[in-house]
Amino acid sequence: MVFSSLLFLFVFLPVVFLLYFLSPRRMKNLVLFLTSLVFYAWGEPVYIVIMLISTVTDYSFGLLLDKPEWGQKRRKAIVVASVIVNLALLSYFKYADFAISNVNALLGIDIPLTELALPIGISFYTFQSMSYIIDVYRGTAKAQRNWIDFGTFVALFPQLVAGPIVQYNTLAEQLRERRVTMEMFAEGVKRFIIGLAKKVLLANNIGLLWHAISDADAGTLPVLTAWLGIIAFAFQIYFDFSGYSDMAIGLGLMFGFRFNENFNKPYTAQSITDFWRRWHISLSSWFRDYVYIPLGGNRKGLSKQLRNILIVWVLTGIWHGAAWNFMLWGLYFGVILIFEKWAGLRLLARAPRWIRHVYASLLILIGWVLFAFDELPKVGDYLGAMLGLHGRPLWDDGTVYYLYTNVILLLLLIAASIAWKKRPVAKGVEAAEKSPSPVRLMAGFAWLIVLFLLSVSYLVDATFNPFLYFRF
Amino acid sequence: MMKKQTDRLLAIWFIVTLFVLAMIFLFSPASKFSELENRYLQAAPKLTWDNLISKKFAEEAETFVTDHFPKRGDWVWVKSLSEQLRLQQENNGIYKGKDGYLFEKFTNPDPVLLTKYTDTIKAFAAAHPDSDMKFLLAPTSIGLYPDKLPWKAPYDPQDKVNDAAAEQLQGLANLTFMNGFDVLMPHASEDIYYRTDHHWTTLGAYYAYEAYAKQMGWTPHPVTDYDIKTVSDSFLGSYDTRGQFSLVKPDSIEKYLPKQPVGTSVYVADTDITTDSLYDDSYLAKKDKYSYFLGGVHALMTITSDIPQGEEDLDKLLVIKDSYAHSFLPFLTQHVKEIHVIDMRYYNGSIGDYMEQNGISHTLLLFNTATFTENGEILKINK
Repeated sequence: MVFSSLLFLFVFLPVVFLLYFLSPRRMKNLVLFLTSLVFYAWGEPVYIVIMLISTVTDYSFGLLLDKPEWGQKRRKAIVVASVIVNLALLSYFKYADFAISNVNALLGIDIPLTELALPIGISFYTFQSMSYIIDVYRGTAKAQRNWIDFGTFVALFPQLVAGPIVQYNTLAEQLRERRVTMEMFAEGVKRFIIGLAKKVLLANNIGLLWHAISDADAGTLPVLTAWLGIIAFAFQIYFDFSGYSDMAIGLGLMFGFRFNENFNKPYTAQSITDFWRRWHISLSSWFRDYVYIPLGGNRKGLSKQLRNILIVWVLTGIWHGAAWNFMLWGLYFGVILIFEKWAGLRLLARAPRWIRHVYASLLILIGWVLFAFDELPKVGDYLGAMLGLHGRPLWDDGTVYYLYTNVILLLLLIAASIAWKKRPVAKGVEAAEKSPSPVRLMAGFAWLIVLFLLSVSYLVDATFNPFLYFRF
Repeated sequence: MMKKQTDRLLAIWFIVTLFVLAMIFLFSPASKFSELENRYLQAAPKLTWDNLISKKFAEEAETFVTDHFPKRGDWVWVKSLSEQLRLQQENNGIYKGKDGYLFEKFTNPDPVLLTKYTDTIKAFAAAHPDSDMKFLLAPTSIGLYPDKLPWKAPYDPQDKVNDAAAEQLQGLANLTFMNGFDVLMPHASEDIYYRTDHHWTTLGAYYAYEAYAKQMGWTPHPVTDYDIKTVSDSFLGSYDTRGQFSLVKPDSIEKYLPKQPVGTSVYVADTDITTDSLYDDSYLAKKDKYSYFLGGVHALMTITSDIPQGEEDLDKLLVIKDSYAHSFLPFLTQHVKEIHVIDMRYYNGSIGDYMEQNGISHTLLLFNTATFTENGEILKINK
């Protein structure tokens, strides 16, 4: 099931609210666990078994790790075993066919493909599960003895299928004890509606522009249309994904959970280093905490650090999909980040703000071309169109049409990219923020109602409603 | 203080909205058919083990909720209004063009696919060397009126597709390709297409008939041989249904009644019912008014005309067609005694066998360029 569907909004969610708020405190996690299983099984009736295998494995491994009398060696073996189980599941379902087809191509043989569909959310829940085992091993979290609480952590429907990736130690306390205040619930409603609007009103509609442009043969695209296209894709993927994260965070709040933020205005970044502190933060943190730092991070000399950066970014790349373009995409950012560490950031610091912004935006857009096409020749064709290598004019009628029929949407997208979240404000202003005028409060309320009703109208109309991040 | 109250208000409003809409949905009777969309709605899904495992239950439940959502039409209207306010010139694949014309987007078919289709037709002609065949490929309105599209809107020129088909189908012994552009372009300034629907008007169908009759060596009746009667002036067609634009002017539907009528009887094989009228008045009161012609789509029907012995131009004709034929066929009843009409989207038998069993040696293929290139049904013709 996806959040941006009428079935979720008007059938699933009311039922969960009813069960959750009417059940006694000690039953609440069980309600969440069971409804989450229904949520998952809705789209993956068979693959739910895989999620349960991963859950049961890590629950048992966690209990084993909790035996203080066991030595360091044994504990380490348990962690390794858990990581192997999770990565084996992930590899088999996500990477087997990619590996097989490459081996086939390389050796000229014909091993049949598994042709398995990717279980929804597997990249997210295996990573969460692993974070638990590693946290317990490191002693930053206690082993969870209650299987319902543990199941709730892994299957929790708000963030099950597309993140944010919640690290166990941030949620451990809340699983045991949490309260939903009116303020929290209202904040959750706000976040949820904003996320829904980002996905349904912004991402889906600009996605139509990207589809119109990317469906055409790249060799026929005028230069500016190609740029418009990739800008549309950049907006689509950001509002799709961050909208989903907002909905997840909002739903979490409604049930008393506080997840970490996943995005922080990424397109205002002044460098690629900056961008990756703002984009999909929960994934970057995961790789930092569970791969980069354990590998030695920057503490073991320059050559080790370079190696670690490249490893992390190749992994980040293929985490996004089993194809060469994703690996290249990761590597691309790895190389840029190394460049920025070595000299880039110092150079950039001397440049005016707008140059830094243009620099980062251009590199991000080129990155999206790598990301958008999973066939490498198409990446080349599209980049060629952007650089004007196909002998096409700068613009044509189509460019004008795409621009004026989307101009209002584009302005909204830009505004929403810059100022969706409140900026940190000076102390005096902050006091004023705390008690906004009644008019402002009511206007904000009315705005949310409009966004919600408008989103529902687009959902009723829509057949075009795929979540992009389901592929990962 | 105030913040607390708005928080409470927001929370309550959200929960109430979800529950109230859920309740309305739950307790309003589920209609089976949507007049607005002219289609059957998803029935309540059945909860069985097989349905669960195959995801059929989930998919049907999803569609069920969307299909039966309270006040569906109003929500769709709101969405369309919002799209127009943001200067979008298209909605759900329909352009809002000039002079009240709505258009459906047309995308060039893959040339390989087009060749496959024309090869299929070549094979069909070759398989029935004794049969005389005509293939009339009619444009849709966007093909004739690209100048009426919204300002600067990009489009794939449909005449290029017809030209390619013409080239691939030339020089065949027993099949003549008739390019609908040649037939209709000279009349482009007349109302030959509905502005809100994907069909040609009766006038458009008349010009097609005129060209076909000439091609067959018959004498077509001049327009003055007909009493032209407007049977509806409130026709909002399929483009309007999908586009849902505001302030759309309805079309009118005309019937061309021969001043010297011949009696006809229409036998619909699907339902085993025979009627004596080429028109079904009941549809004029419904949304789907084009089905006034021949009562809409049938897999197989036979139209018999009481043309006095010896005055007919042709004894038997097979028409393999899409719905463009519905307003076209009434004109043929004055020339052909027995017209067999097959819609390949629904007819599953062998067309070769049918021709043989019924002793038919004249065939007309009548499609518009969009159906011909988009659904691939033509590939079944040699079955």
